[in-house]
Amino acid sequence: MLRFALVVLVASAGALAGTPALAHFDAADRYTHKACPASATNRIDPINVVFTTWGTWARAGSQVESHTGWTAASGSVQSFTDHGGCGAIHTQRASGHGSRFHVRLRGQHADAALGWTAMAAAHHEDLVLFSVPCGHAVDANGPGGSGFDQARDELVRQLTSAGHSSYRVWWGNTQSFKQCDGDYAASDGWAAFIQLHQVSHP
Amino acid sequence: MTHPWLMAAVMFALGLALVGSVSAGGGQPSAALQSFPLYNAGERVDGLPLVAVLRREDTADFASFVYGDCVAGDNAGCAPPAEIQIWPACGRNLGLYDGVQPAGAPAEQIMVRGVPALLFDDGTRLEFETGRSTAVAFADTRARTLRIAAALRAVDGTVSPGRPLPQPTRGEGRGGAVDC
Repeated sequence: MLRFALVVLVASAGALAGTPALAHFDAADRYTHKACPASATNRIDPINVVFTTWGTWARAGSQVESHTGWTAASGSVQSFTDHGGCGAIHTQRASGHGSRFHVRLRGQHADAALGWTAMAAAHHEDLVLFSVPCGHAVDANGPGGSGFDQARDELVRQLTSAGHSSYRVWWGNTQSFKQCDGDYAASDGWAAFIQLHQVSHP
Repeated sequence: MTHPWLMAAVMFALGLALVGSVSAGGGQPSAALQSFPLYNAGERVDGLPLVAVLRREDTADFASFVYGDCVAGDNAGCAPPAEIQIWPACGRNLGLYDGVQPAGAPAEQIMVRGVPALLFDDGTRLEFETGRSTAVAFADTRARTLRIAAALRAVDGTVSPGRPLPQPTRGEGRGGAVDC
């Protein structure tokens, strides 16, 4: 009974303070997966953006949409891991339905230093119709890097120009992923941490 | 980059680059390729054929050897069973991890053929410096990752599979200045 009371007390104190429960940011797995359970064989995309401070998945979706104009929400479901668990994305945003920027998001454990966090896998993809009609394929290479790098940098550019701060962390998750057009795309290994504010946008 | 004839051409070009006789861009030798020796696992490793040779020189700088195939779909890429990436050690090295909070399970420190190495992601990523290069092996299992490491050879023939690897020349093997 005493233990139950202590648990209630701690939980209540956390809720009243409005701060995240004590946990830590878990980036042990830096890829999305086709489904759960996650494994090395069903990796799909590198995770390349982390929203922090007020980075709940709903705020991340709202602020990405507001600052980039990416309002489309079409795309397949992928899964993220967190503290040994595995779950489907919470939301996604895209700049259209053809060739487009696209980001998938999932809220994660809060962290004592980073605050609320959401992890994101962002990319630019082409709608491939010729010569093999296959659908969306992430860009392999370009002056601005792969499609993964281009979308990460676009998010940083748009959000920092709106006043959000960001910094980069070396993650090294550069594994190449074959795309449906036969090309391979890989992240350059840098993750962008972007700070979000409390107020969601309309 | 995935057509067989193109792959053969790239392999040939990468090989020539090691001895300084390939030209890139405006006829100038590719300084990047000349600056870091390439390693791969030959035509086949752990039952997987070499299916693609890639080269990036934009926000990332590496050559990649992809082993084995997978089936990608609409909106969903796929992870090949094995891949070896070779980066210039001045651009990617173990020192990059020194200032990074692990935010997950810490990397496992091991020795691979006489050089210090780090294992990440439950053993599905292995990184080590050798000479002026950094080798990064990705595979679907820890055991396969280690078999790939054992099979690595220098493309120019100076290092055979299983033999000791050249010691890192970037600095003390971990940390140190990064200057490309």
